[in-house]
Amino acid sequence: MARVLLKNLTKRFGKVIAVDKINLEIKDGEFLVLLGPSGCGKSTTLRLIAGLERPDEGEIWIGDRMVNEVDPTKRNIAMVFQSYALYPHMSVYGNIEFPLRMQGVPKNERIRKVREVARFLGIEELLDRKPSQLSGGQQQRVALARAIVREPEVFLLDEPLSNLDAKLRVKMRFELKRLLSSELGITTIYVTHDQVEAMTMADRIAVMNRGKIYQVGTPEDIFYKPSNMFVAGFVGSPPMNFVKGIVRKEGNRLSLIHGEVKLSIPLSYEKLVKMGEELVIGFRPQHVEVADHPFKGSIESHIIGVEKLGTENYVHVKCDDLEVVLQAPSEIDFRKKDKIYWQPRENLIYIFNPKNEKALYFKR
Amino acid sequence: MKNDIVKLSWFIVTYIVLTGFALVYLIPFIRSITASFMTWEQASRFPPEFFPNPFTLENYEKLFRLELFPRWILNSALYTGIIVFGNVILTSMAGYAFARLRFPGRDALFSVLLALLMIPGFVTLVPNYIIIYKLGLVDNILGLALLSIADVSSIFLMRQYYASFPSDLFEAARLDGCGPVKAFFYIAFPLGKPAIGAVAVYQFLGAWNAFLGPLVFLRTPENFTLPVGLSFAFQRSMWVEYTPIIAGSVLAAMPTLILFVTLNKYLIRGIVITGGKG
Repeated sequence: MARVLLKNLTKRFGKVIAVDKINLEIKDGEFLVLLGPSGCGKSTTLRLIAGLERPDEGEIWIGDRMVNEVDPTKRNIAMVFQSYALYPHMSVYGNIEFPLRMQGVPKNERIRKVREVARFLGIEELLDRKPSQLSGGQQQRVALARAIVREPEVFLLDEPLSNLDAKLRVKMRFELKRLLSSELGITTIYVTHDQVEAMTMADRIAVMNRGKIYQVGTPEDIFYKPSNMFVAGFVGSPPMNFVKGIVRKEGNRLSLIHGEVKLSIPLSYEKLVKMGEELVIGFRPQHVEVADHPFKGSIESHIIGVEKLGTENYVHVKCDDLEVVLQAPSEIDFRKKDKIYWQPRENLIYIFNPKNEKALYFKR
Repeated sequence: MKNDIVKLSWFIVTYIVLTGFALVYLIPFIRSITASFMTWEQASRFPPEFFPNPFTLENYEKLFRLELFPRWILNSALYTGIIVFGNVILTSMAGYAFARLRFPGRDALFSVLLALLMIPGFVTLVPNYIIIYKLGLVDNILGLALLSIADVSSIFLMRQYYASFPSDLFEAARLDGCGPVKAFFYIAFPLGKPAIGAVAVYQFLGAWNAFLGPLVFLRTPENFTLPVGLSFAFQRSMWVEYTPIIAGSVLAAMPTLILFVTLNKYLIRGIVITGGKG
């Protein structure tokens, strides 16, 4: 086991900066998820750590070694690819044994280790099969076994669940986390664009965009204390609603005015904002009071669509030029309604500076 | 109903055209087989006859009376073996390098190689002869085989094949502890079998049937390959005795035929990989 440290890590492909001076420490035994949209540089970061790409600038440390110039084979890391990259001409046994053969491990030792890992992952009966004879979930287990058998210091996983169907993905998500964190305790860096995977598996999440890390924190931090509009909008489904407007004080109430829409802001924000200043308010669809009748401070809006997900409904509403998504109680019958009333919960709204898109926080 | 008639008509037309083409290609071969059992007098008649009358084995007897006939078969086998073996090893390595390794000038070098495909063999015949002469390898099977030991079209075929594999596979091998050489022998070579099979079959056909190269580079009858030997043995001062040559050609075609029947899937794979002739 080892910690991984990235210092000012930069990678360019021609004029494109794929990874832009990132600094990150992954602690010993930690399960860190690199989360971000396609093309944000998360896979490149993983490949840099693996040694499959050479950094243009910066340092990569694994344990107490700087590994910039160390060959991938000598970094003591193992990687599971999105496609699993199993060798199609070898049996499951051959695939798992392969890294040990390359290390020159004696045959008896190899047989023992392969059997041990196969038993651990419940794939003993598959050892004689070829990868093409396995299901997606079985292939994934073989890829994991091939990685585990080397007893690496660091595990790198590049979207390992994205080729599985939805049901299996949920199952494997749980199994992977249990296996890597609880049972093996190996330092793991896991790349995904799926926020549910990130939230459910990570000890900490690093949210990336345009080659930069936008925020690093626990899943709770990322969800409840996003440091900027990108993180706030990327994490959470449906995404957070953003409303841009001017701050006004009326009596002892603070409000954000957007056309005819007036949203209350907690008075405690008074010290952080200037009256007449332009700000962005963010609120999650789940953090809104919704009713089919007017109530104090509610905003009347037209319903433009309803998404029924079984246990919950998401309503798309429009008020003036503002469009937002709200989670509505399942009791509301939308069939005969074209209007709905809502108000964000004051203690669960976020305020952002529209210029630098950073969040303004106060101590709650 | 109308649709059925149109379908049936197309079916019949397709079969007539395909049968026509098959006959055009097959007739010379069938005629060679029958002519090998004819006397020269009957074989040279016009319009050509297809049934031997009288039936004779004289052509085959003449062939087997030739003292050097087994030697020429052996020479052909040796020449073909070297070329097939050399191409399998060298072109799969070169194809792997062009497809999977990163080195300066890789793409430029590959373009130069591809350009060589455009140059007809006749253009390089004289320079090649000079090189082989300077190396002292004229009239030597090994010298002749050297010229075709790494065929450009085979390198192209192997390169296309290896390029079609996901890079994850080779990256996984790299992380598992394989350098480029180990990755070739443990991963690329076993995975390349279908394309390597196609290369082997194409090279076998080319080398076994080669005539111009062996004719130019080999001097003494003991060193001739089968096609050159046959033409040499039955070339008289004023005329050529064609029927024993035809009998020899029919015998020489047997390994090719067997190879085609057993390995034609590799030939087809070769065409699929390169999107054209392998």
